[in-house]
Amino acid sequence: MRLRGWAWLALSSLILGPLAGETRPHYGGTLTVEFSTVDAGTALSIPIAETLVRINARGQIEPCLAVAWQHDPDFKRWRFSLRPKVTFHDGEALTGARAVPALLAALKQKYSDVSIEAGGQAIVVQSEHAMPELLQVLALPASAVSRKSDTGATIGTGPFRVTAWEPGRRMVLSAFDDYWGGRPFLDAVSIEFGSARGHADLFDIPVGPARRILPEGLATWSSEPRTLVAILGANADPVLPALALAIDRAPIVNVLAQHKGDAAFGLLPQWLSGYAFLFQSTPDVTRAKQLASQLRLGEMRLTYPSNDLFLRSMAERVALNARDAGIAIRPTPGGTGNLRLLEWPIESTDAADGLKHIAELMGAGDRANRLDSAKPETWYELERSLLDEHRIIPLVYLRETYGIAPRVHFQPSPSDPFTLHLEDAWLQP
Amino acid sequence: VSFRTKVFLSITATVVLAVWIVAAVVSTLVTQSFERRDAQRTRALVSQLQREFDRRGADVARRVEAVAGSDQVQRMAVNLGAKLDTSQYFAEAQALAQEQSLDFLELVGPDAAIISSAEWPARFGYKEDWLAQPVDWKTQGFFLKKEELADGSAFGLITVRAVKAGEGTLYVVGGQRLDKEFLESLPASEGMRLQLYRNFEALPSPEPLGSKLAADLVKEVRRQPRELTRVSDAATITALPLRGRDNQLLAILLIENSRTELASLKKYIQGTAAAVGVAGVLLALMLSFWTASRVTRPLRDLASSVREVAGGNWDTRASVVSSDEVGQLARDFNGMTEQLREQRDRMIQAERVAAWRELARRLAHELKNPLFPLQITIENLQRSRDATPEQFDEVFRESTTTLLAELGHLKTIIGRFSDFAKMPAPQLEPVDINHVAREVLQLFEAQLRTPGQPAVETKLQLEADPGQVPADPEQLRRALRNLVLNALDAMPQGGTLLVRTSRHDGKVAVEVSDTGEGLTPEECDRLFTPYYTTKQHGTGLGLAIVQSVVSDHKGTITVHSEPGQGTTFRIELTT
Repeated sequence: MRLRGWAWLALSSLILGPLAGETRPHYGGTLTVEFSTVDAGTALSIPIAETLVRINARGQIEPCLAVAWQHDPDFKRWRFSLRPKVTFHDGEALTGARAVPALLAALKQKYSDVSIEAGGQAIVVQSEHAMPELLQVLALPASAVSRKSDTGATIGTGPFRVTAWEPGRRMVLSAFDDYWGGRPFLDAVSIEFGSARGHADLFDIPVGPARRILPEGLATWSSEPRTLVAILGANADPVLPALALAIDRAPIVNVLAQHKGDAAFGLLPQWLSGYAFLFQSTPDVTRAKQLASQLRLGEMRLTYPSNDLFLRSMAERVALNARDAGIAIRPTPGGTGNLRLLEWPIESTDAADGLKHIAELMGAGDRANRLDSAKPETWYELERSLLDEHRIIPLVYLRETYGIAPRVHFQPSPSDPFTLHLEDAWLQP
Repeated sequence: VSFRTKVFLSITATVVLAVWIVAAVVSTLVTQSFERRDAQRTRALVSQLQREFDRRGADVARRVEAVAGSDQVQRMAVNLGAKLDTSQYFAEAQALAQEQSLDFLELVGPDAAIISSAEWPARFGYKEDWLAQPVDWKTQGFFLKKEELADGSAFGLITVRAVKAGEGTLYVVGGQRLDKEFLESLPASEGMRLQLYRNFEALPSPEPLGSKLAADLVKEVRRQPRELTRVSDAATITALPLRGRDNQLLAILLIENSRTELASLKKYIQGTAAAVGVAGVLLALMLSFWTASRVTRPLRDLASSVREVAGGNWDTRASVVSSDEVGQLARDFNGMTEQLREQRDRMIQAERVAAWRELARRLAHELKNPLFPLQITIENLQRSRDATPEQFDEVFRESTTTLLAELGHLKTIIGRFSDFAKMPAPQLEPVDINHVAREVLQLFEAQLRTPGQPAVETKLQLEADPGQVPADPEQLRRALRNLVLNALDAMPQGGTLLVRTSRHDGKVAVEVSDTGEGLTPEECDRLFTPYYTTKQHGTGLGLAIVQSVVSDHKGTITVHSEPGQGTTFRIELTT
């Protein structure tokens, strides 16, 4: 029986061994990446530079280049302990002094009186004002610790280093063998910008009217909705409730966004706030007509970024829906108008932080002070009040979608619904 | 107006009329010819345009066929049949429309909902209910359709093709835009303008259509859709009604054919005709003048001769320069003049004889009357001396008295003849005619008041301000006196004598009227003939003297008389 058991074990190993080998990560290879625009997508993490802390998929702050931190009761003084034995791509060790310039430049955008002191592997951030959300700010990509080389390439501490850089056209990354988290699986990553051939191992599938024929067997990955598209009025306007009722979001999501998004009725997506379904409504053209008929309406201009075909088609669809309700809207590329069609990237996985960002863009940043990350009811109150102002009509939350060639694998599998991590990618030989 | 002028004007008028008629006829014929040519040209252009229109429509149908047969549409139809999601096709129409150069292309699902629209991409999901009608689209050609667009609406030449999609149908609706560019692409000739009036628009004022004629034409065709052509000086406009599938008037194609060139040519011809006409008229004027002069010269010579003859020059001869009617006339005139001259001489001779006879008769008559008493008286003297010598002295005294009286009478008669023979020339001076009239009447006042005289009432009607006339007052008084005497003689039974002065047209008139028995016309004709009298004892010199005085004063004397109504003599003198 024991012998028979070992025999079964040996046989199983013979049979399952190669199968297991298929899913086991391999080192080596060059991953090719294409971006349809001249910028990289926000959902694809290209780990060149790192931040002191980062927000995980659950929205929690976790250590990265900083391993520990403390703050005084007033949130005016923060002390960070840097991770030891971390080196930049050029071989220099990460110290507090070397991290200060990048951090100071990033934090000055948010806190004008901030000052940073460094001592060995410690950094002290101080300000006359409270900085309760400093960790969220430091988790943003803009707060990454990096330097610029003579050629303008970024020198960071991430798992990949820049070996070639042609701004707006091409970037080549190589695995950083001395990465503190361990060498990535890939030897190199070749990235092309402004290319829409779809022949790379990994490429973005832009949302919008441009139809793209995807290769056979191609897998796709979509992030959670991370961009809000909404109409923002110059002022509170009584026509906006009528317009909101006239707009049918389903065709926008299904046809214009090609299912790469969700209908938006609130400011934060459901996955981030958890209460977005409370704002859901159905289009009612009859009611919209009634509301519009009570107003003395002239033709309104709905402006959109002039080079954005997706927003243009959205603006035209909105104008068409509005016409059904007796509201005259002229879609206009660029310029100023009564209404603007805008995209708001949701850069944070923290709901309060994301909502605060939207409130600030709407000029209601002062009201965001009452937000408490631990109290969803404060998020809801602020979002409700912002929507009730009749200045904004959320339309759709967009996801970022990538086409992934069959030879590309991720270890672990993409579990982060927000970001695709290149350092986790490996290639099937 | 002289005869020459009349001839000149007649010839000129005839020539001008002839030129005008020729010009009018030429102009009319040219205009009619041009109108016919213009109408033919317009018909040809309209026909050509219609053919081109049909060709474009057929071309659109061919392209839509190509779209319907394309791999994309066939694959789409398969997916539709398999009830797969069609959202991925929403941009398909734009690519296909671009491939086939179609302005409009819609891919419509079996439920008549738009899957993809090239002309209005945002319109996906909206229904095209008209496609749900049972129509055999395969046999249906192109048709005109109003397409809704994001920025308004437009017309298109549309074709529909149906593609089998499972149990349903995928409709391919494609077309070409019928707009300004389309019209400009049509093979219009020079001077031709195409305009499209869209029937769903408010009727524009004449300015956008270019003319009131076009606007009126549009109104008329809208009221009763049919092909219509109207012509103005500037253009010929033909309106073609363009209808949709349901025969509804959707638009009106205005084909405006400029007549500028035509008008210019017509104007040139008319200008040339006018110039030729003017030249012809000028030539006619010269010819008329020459002809009139040539034709009327013998007549003028003849007229001159007539005037000469009328002026008393009876020896005048008209020159005979031709053998035609005018020459014959001149010859006849000369013959007639010769005869007249001979007759005049004979008449003068006869009148002279008659005058001498009349003078002799009058003298005999006038002298016979006093001579008879003289003879009786002398014979009485002789008988008295022989028979009664005692009474001879007394008889002698009576007889000598009678003889003296009769001799005196004879002397008076001789004096009158003598006076008439030697009428002096008038000594002119400013004379008040009223004053003369009053003086003359005063002379007769005593005579008229003498008992036994017929009762004659005198009336004097004088002009308030007759002015003064240049006259010899003595001769004027004499003439008036003779007229008053005549009037009194005409009223032996009494009556009314009226002396009246008046002034008008720069002339002063004095009239002497009686209420006598009046004169016959024959008497009136001879009244001023010397030695003619209607009275028993008149010399016939009184009125002859009056006429002589008036004539010497460059005046006129007229008589108006009717039997039983009296007679009025009127003297008119120039102031």
